[in-house]
Amino acid sequence: MLDGEPLVRWHWLGDHLGYLADLTADHAVIALVPVLLALLLAVPLGLACARFPRLYQPLAAVFNVVYALPSLAVFVVLIPYTGLATRQTVMVPLTCYALAVLLPTAVDGLRAVPEPVRQAATAMGYGPWRRLAAVELPASVPYLIGGLRVAAVSSISLAAVGALVGRGGLGYLFVDGFQRTFPTPILAGIALVALLALATDLLLVAARRVLAPWERGVAR
Amino acid sequence: MIRFEGAAKRHPDGTVAVRGLDLEVPAGRTTVLVGPSGCGKTTILRMVNRMVEPTAGRVLLDGTDVAALPAAGLRRGIGYVIQQAGLFPHRRVIDNVATVPRLLGWDRRRARARAAELLELVGLPPETARRYPAQLSGGQQQRVGVARALAADPPVLLMDEPFSAVDPLVRAGLQEELLRLQGELGKTVLFVTHDIEEAVRLGDRVVVLREHGEIAQLADPHTLLTAPADAGVAAFLGRDRGLRGLGLRPADSVPLTGLDPAPTPDLDLGRRIPYGGWELALDPSGRPEHWTRGAERHPVPVFVPSRDSLRAALDAALLAPSGHAVAVDAEGRAVGTASRAAVVEALAAANGTGTGAPTPEQVPHAGR
Repeated sequence: MLDGEPLVRWHWLGDHLGYLADLTADHAVIALVPVLLALLLAVPLGLACARFPRLYQPLAAVFNVVYALPSLAVFVVLIPYTGLATRQTVMVPLTCYALAVLLPTAVDGLRAVPEPVRQAATAMGYGPWRRLAAVELPASVPYLIGGLRVAAVSSISLAAVGALVGRGGLGYLFVDGFQRTFPTPILAGIALVALLALATDLLLVAARRVLAPWERGVAR
Repeated sequence: MIRFEGAAKRHPDGTVAVRGLDLEVPAGRTTVLVGPSGCGKTTILRMVNRMVEPTAGRVLLDGTDVAALPAAGLRRGIGYVIQQAGLFPHRRVIDNVATVPRLLGWDRRRARARAAELLELVGLPPETARRYPAQLSGGQQQRVGVARALAADPPVLLMDEPFSAVDPLVRAGLQEELLRLQGELGKTVLFVTHDIEEAVRLGDRVVVLREHGEIAQLADPHTLLTAPADAGVAAFLGRDRGLRGLGLRPADSVPLTGLDPAPTPDLDLGRRIPYGGWELALDPSGRPEHWTRGAERHPVPVFVPSRDSLRAALDAALLAPSGHAVAVDAEGRAVGTASRAAVVEALAAANGTGTGAPTPEQVPHAGR
């Protein structure tokens, strides 16, 4: 830190409000669209794994390996295919990471439906697919949202790394501040990433209350 | 009617759950399968709705082999109640009950209207409809389970230990309720339990099973208690069989002694009727108030001859300080009394006149 440079130059923040808002919106898109895509993939894959349990282990292994790869390395590997500084370079790996979190929660959620519930559904004349869609899937919504909370927050954090390959919304503030030894944008970036994560989490908690009303007021 | 013809279930690992069952389950009656755990009773039950496919033999429902019917359609026509109720946690009570009608293609409004009727039928207050299963007590959940099984008015009801997981007081209430419902609806009920008390209470016919689904005895409850087929069945029935059998005999065979002097309607005050050293005090409407002797006062044990069992009459006679059980009508007015000796005489007659004697077709084993 330079001597004489204050930790936060408030007028810089005031001068760049629009810029900061744009970066935040960009960050939200880069981080959260992959989570939504992963959800759209995790539900059918999870249903398939619940119906055909043999699928689950190989699929989980693939996504766990992807999850273990360092994000920066994956971004770099993808550049020849998606181009430098395109959103896809960051969003493709983020989708895989989110899927690595969401697939196990989807499968666990479907499996967590109590056996008597399953048997009652079968005995009432639900076929295997219909039972999954009408009974196990809605009953597993609280699990899915729990998984979404983890996936969304980690995606928001990981997206910042994308700035190193030219994309990454708020991550750009870190690169910029570091290169100019100017702490204000760095601190603003940290605060905005945290705020975005918090807001997303609160939204998901609210979604859970709306989508899983049976859990309200019931001690568990 | 359900008919098992040599129905057997052998698991892939070679263990035998049911060796080969021949059994007729008559329409409109309650047939209880009772036996120790592992005797194959649940397996037998599930053969009916094809949740278990027999490895040999067949199961006929009204003359049709169930294996020839599509499983989902077959199951929508058979009510099924299980121990943990198995309600859908994410659906409101009313929508749980409406499940099968909805599967059958009824529109939501009609299905819900039907579900509301059923909640009333099983004795649940209307405000329960909007609740979720987790907000109900165990006993209420079981009622919802029964309502759900009955929603599409299936002729056949399969019940797999439906009341085993609730406490004894609630269980007695649910059993009472099932008897009342069955009196109204006359379903073909196949009921599985390990509790012999429950079996003799609910069953028109009781099938006692031993290992591998073999029938040890098939009889009406009174025959079962008074004439068990062999020592094994007797041991399974437990102690006090004779006494418990009295619980299944109506008390209307007890000879009553009229009240002397008879209470008159125009009398304002209560009155006292002497019995040895005791007096029975009646209130002005003729209801028993207490037994009295000098300064002593005791409650009056009563029985209703048209409704209660011989066991209840005996109990009342034993508990009364004077030794006289007081018979009352439905409004609680005393109509007569029965001494201990009179009740015991009625007991002997009930067990000796052959009313409960087994017929050969009811008892497959002759080795009594």
